[in-house]
Amino acid sequence: MPRSDFWSGLAVAGFGLLALLWMIPNYAGTNPFARMPPGLVPSIGAWAMVICGGIIAAKGLIQMLRAGHAPFTADLHWGAVAWAAWPFAYVAVAIWFMSFIKITWFGAFLIGGMLVLLGERRWWMILGCSVVPVVLLYILSVYMMRTGVV
Amino acid sequence: MNFSAVGAAVSEALTLASFIGIGGGVLLGYIVGVIPGLSRSVAISIAIPMTFYMSPFIAISFLIGLSKGTAAGSAVSAILLNAPGEASSAATALDGYPMAKQGKPKTALQIGLIASVLGDILATIILIFVAIPFARVALLFGPYEMAAILAFALVFIAGLSGGNIFKGLAAGGLGIFLGTIGLDNQTGLPRLTFGYTELMDGMPLIAVAIGTLALSEMFVQSEKLRYDRANMSVALKKDSTDRITWPIFRNILPTILRGTGVGTFVGALPGLGPSVGSFMSYGMAQKAAKDPETFGKGNPKGIAASESADNAVIPAALIPLFGLGIPGNVSAALLIGAFAIHGITVGPLLLRDNPELLYSIFAGMILASVIMLALGWFGLMFFAQITRVPPHVVIPIVIFFCLAGMMLQGYGTFGLIILMAFALLGYLMKKYDYSFVTFLVAFIITPMLELNLRQSIILSRGNVAILLDRPIALIFIACTALALITLIIRTFRTDKAAAGAPTSE
Repeated sequence: MPRSDFWSGLAVAGFGLLALLWMIPNYAGTNPFARMPPGLVPSIGAWAMVICGGIIAAKGLIQMLRAGHAPFTADLHWGAVAWAAWPFAYVAVAIWFMSFIKITWFGAFLIGGMLVLLGERRWWMILGCSVVPVVLLYILSVYMMRTGVV
Repeated sequence: MNFSAVGAAVSEALTLASFIGIGGGVLLGYIVGVIPGLSRSVAISIAIPMTFYMSPFIAISFLIGLSKGTAAGSAVSAILLNAPGEASSAATALDGYPMAKQGKPKTALQIGLIASVLGDILATIILIFVAIPFARVALLFGPYEMAAILAFALVFIAGLSGGNIFKGLAAGGLGIFLGTIGLDNQTGLPRLTFGYTELMDGMPLIAVAIGTLALSEMFVQSEKLRYDRANMSVALKKDSTDRITWPIFRNILPTILRGTGVGTFVGALPGLGPSVGSFMSYGMAQKAAKDPETFGKGNPKGIAASESADNAVIPAALIPLFGLGIPGNVSAALLIGAFAIHGITVGPLLLRDNPELLYSIFAGMILASVIMLALGWFGLMFFAQITRVPPHVVIPIVIFFCLAGMMLQGYGTFGLIILMAFALLGYLMKKYDYSFVTFLVAFIITPMLELNLRQSIILSRGNVAILLDRPIALIFIACTALALITLIIRTFRTDKAAAGAPTSE
């Protein structure tokens, strides 16, 4: 926990700093006549991230130093990382596909492909689980919501 | 009370369309609740796009029915599978699973169902009698009071929904920051949109909700599959002795009433979720029992205590929502989003502007409880079969509905990219134990907080001394400071105690 606290706290504080130093000054806008500038509330959020992220990171660092842990030497289990990452990659590719083809037309392949990757081998299970949700979406979008095929 | 509005509400709740909408919500919720890994918030976030074509009353009742159904359904997997569909049913598994293993699965399920329904109905009645007077008082509040109450609720949720106040506040800070994206109300100019016109209306709530709650949860579940694929459900057999009897009911009734009280109290406080309620109720039932050593070995009171509190939390969480417009948990926060999609401002103004809708929702909630009892009682065998559905089958289907939900909203590829970004954010928040509840609540209440803060600053002309004339606002500001200090001290103490314990890292 101390190691993950250190890194996550650092990331949160870093994002807060980025927001305070670059995003809010450049993109929040200004209103010199208002008592409350448009950047005030986002700045409160960013300050909360900087302060709390900093405290989390500092606490993690102190705990690691006390326990004798080295912060940069955690072993990464690449197999576990790959297993955690592939669904993200799969969905990202599906989203890319969705910029060309409607999800109703390739939804069955999206579900079926993931079922196979997750270890399902029964063809009737793959077929049923792939087709039924797509048919339900078709009924919902075309007949109930009347938005057409999505 | 406006009796003609109440009469109209009841008649609206008893139409065929209401039965179908509410019954469908309860049924869907029951099915989702039975499947381990699919939580209430996942179900609601995916179901919101389905409500676009419904009337506001049916849409909200459908979502509340869904919420109630998941709470009752999660007991089925807790009892038969020892894998609670929701964290709040973990206490149910403590006695439910041993009872099922002892050859009494149906009795355990019926105890869970009756405790759920009674807890739910009683808490709904309390909601009706508390929320309306509460909203009447809240109508007298000005922007000072509302800003102070919202700040207090945010700090309270940040401290109590996770273990670490700093992580809660950091998540809340991110929620506030992202909640300000879009057109600034005062200037009408884009704020933090980075030139993307799609962000003029703010971050799409559906993308934030589905990404942070549902899609990220599927990524977490698929990661777990690497380590655990076991699914050993206890089968229901035809056995005439395996059913709830009058002596069992009489024995558990006081426990149900106590559990309802605990659940209602916990639910009404922002930030304390149903898990706290069910475990608190379980602990109290164990302490009050003459045979505490039988708890954890199949004691019916254990199931009754946990389930009654778990279900009582759902209506009770609507007390601050309808009374003040403050969501106490993720489900309530999502309901705010659903209300907004249907063009309704939830909170005390709902009572003033649209009392018929409020009464209809109350009537719909009672109807949902009755439907829940009927569905649970007659559909036990069916729901027991659903526990055998392996998680690897559920994950791709839910991912498909997450993506389809965004397309139904009409956001296109940009919306899907936002969805993916929030799924990654939700995944990291869950992995590193940052409170996504606080994040989501902060994201949703930020526009309201900013509006009230702005009105307060304009009305007071920057003079802080005006707060001396607003005692309620002053009390809530003092409570916020006190809660912050107490929660910070508690976090440091917990960390100190944890540092003394042996670490696995």
